[in-house]
Amino acid sequence: MGYSLGDTEMTKIRRSLLGLVLVALAAAQALGAASTTSNVTVSASVAATAKLSLSSSTVSFADADPDATPSITATEGAITITAKGKTSTGGTITLTVLAADDLKSGTDAIAITNVTWTSSGAGFVAGTMNKTSAQPVASWTNSGSRAGTQTYALANSWSYPIGSYTATATYTLTAP
Amino acid sequence: MSRRYSPIPAVCAALGFVLLAAPAVCAQTLDLTISPSTITFANADPDTTPSIAAPSITVSYRVRQNGGGSWRITLLAGGDLTAGSATIPITSITWTATPAPPFQSGTMSRTLAQTLASGSGNVQQSTNATVVFRLANSWTHNAGTYSASIVFTLTAP
Repeated sequence: MGYSLGDTEMTKIRRSLLGLVLVALAAAQALGAASTTSNVTVSASVAATAKLSLSSSTVSFADADPDATPSITATEGAITITAKGKTSTGGTITLTVLAADDLKSGTDAIAITNVTWTSSGAGFVAGTMNKTSAQPVASWTNSGSRAGTQTYALANSWSYPIGSYTATATYTLTAP
Repeated sequence: MSRRYSPIPAVCAALGFVLLAAPAVCAQTLDLTISPSTITFANADPDTTPSIAAPSITVSYRVRQNGGGSWRITLLAGGDLTAGSATIPITSITWTATPAPPFQSGTMSRTLAQTLASGSGNVQQSTNATVVFRLANSWTHNAGTYSASIVFTLTAP
């Protein structure tokens, strides 16, 4: 005689089997997931770089009455300076200017230290031109693109011999 | 009079079903190869090269025994680009890929795996795709040699 069960017992067994099948299917589905990986290295080189531009390459001082105009502002007005540099983290980027000589007109000379400037813009400072030591114009920490202005002025004087005076100045932007 | 049933046939049927189903879902075979294994961005002037393209890489993939299931290739960076204490956000790197579809463009992330490609079924033959990564250039990047790691993952869930 074989084993047999009542209706209630069979219902319980069917529900248990259904649950078992569902669990087995879920487990089988999870076990079926597969993956594989591959690693890649990214490298980027950033070199120290300095790039400088000025809105005007000339600075002119018109003739003026020293009594009425003791300080002659450059005809060009404010010169816009754009300094772009990449440096190491925490590094200092500097901008300096150095005159090659005094203002000269033949054998006559006006001391270049009579030329001064005022500035605007973060990092920019005022200063006095010099022919022996480069003067700071601006400085910043870390890489970046910065802009500011310089407005030059010449101290006027009745002692200046007449003539057309010229001088050259070199700006140096350094990004170590 | 109540009917009585033997549970043995039902038990055998359920076990048989599980045994038949199990081998099929455990058998996906996935292959993924990236060549070369390095992505290199050269130094460049941000004014003339606002976006630096690296030489392209080839993604070779193959999906077998997947039936009608889906598959996906993702990218996840291990961190930002770093050079000592200097960092460049990994989100500065984007990519374009062909063929599209199944490949798609995107932006790198170090927190959430980004989809590079997706599909369904099998890819019986090893198939190649080309991916070009680009780095957004900037004057604010400090000098240095930066590096980061990226994990490519092919899954068939």
